[in-house]
Amino acid sequence: MQNPSSPAGSLDPNVVAGRLMQRAHNRDGLPEIAVGLNFLLAASLIYAQVVLPKGSNGFRLAALAFALLLPSLLFGSLWALQWVRRRYLIERVGYVERRPMGRRQIGLGIAIAALMALAVFGVAPRLSQPDRWLLGGTGLFGGALMAWCGRLARFVIGGAVMAAAGVCVAFAGVSLLMGFTLLFGFQGLVTLVSGGVVFLRFIRQPVETSE
Amino acid sequence: MSAKIQRIAEVDRIIHEPARLMVVALLAAVKEADFQYLHQATRLTKGNLSVHLSKLEEAGYIAIEKSFRGKYPLTICRLTEHGRGALDNYRKIIKGAL
Repeated sequence: MQNPSSPAGSLDPNVVAGRLMQRAHNRDGLPEIAVGLNFLLAASLIYAQVVLPKGSNGFRLAALAFALLLPSLLFGSLWALQWVRRRYLIERVGYVERRPMGRRQIGLGIAIAALMALAVFGVAPRLSQPDRWLLGGTGLFGGALMAWCGRLARFVIGGAVMAAAGVCVAFAGVSLLMGFTLLFGFQGLVTLVSGGVVFLRFIRQPVETSE
Repeated sequence: MSAKIQRIAEVDRIIHEPARLMVVALLAAVKEADFQYLHQATRLTKGNLSVHLSKLEEAGYIAIEKSFRGKYPLTICRLTEHGRGALDNYRKIIKGAL
């Protein structure tokens, strides 16, 4: 990957387009709201597995929803964002039709998923206190991913908060599921509030209609 | 080395202008986008953006089509094959020189 701060990087059309599109994508706060809602949903489904008796219908439903519903919601969020923007915000955000995901992006996604699976199922169980490593690692990895994906000050701050929360939860002495509930619940609220503030500020700006 | 740097003189000046480079780079990364999206993404003034779009259209680098989505008027811009080729050429020269 080219260094965006290098002279060639600053003139490379791909780098220029990437920066501009990312800024445009995040300016209305909706992506953060979607991420925050997904975090909160994940936290509530995990918490349901903590409080409901194992083997009960509710427990099975929560586990099934976590396994099936959450991934589809994560992937559906992009579609939902596009729908909301075109239906309600087109005068403010404009219209854009994106290209289908390229091989490079798909490959990167698969590589990240494979690395996560290796860390969770291959490395963490061999360490002493694997629960601590999983919680701390999730916070650090999630925080780094948030900062890298957002590349704006508020995402970097959000990522740092998530990393710190992950480390705090890891050393809090709670069970693995309760730790994930606390981590995702806290991060969901932080992200939702951050996105909500950005969205309110965005929606209060006057609409310019003439070209 | 100097030959590579001298190639900078060959860059397409229509694309090399920073505002137009932003527009062309954005349009290369999407299928199509309307005026408002380009205005929001580039933060150029509407007048300025309009002038640059006209220049790019005159050069045959972009195609502009006016339509409606409900009551909302859309000025949809797309990069043409000619524009994509010019951008690729520009990218090669810049990468080779810097």
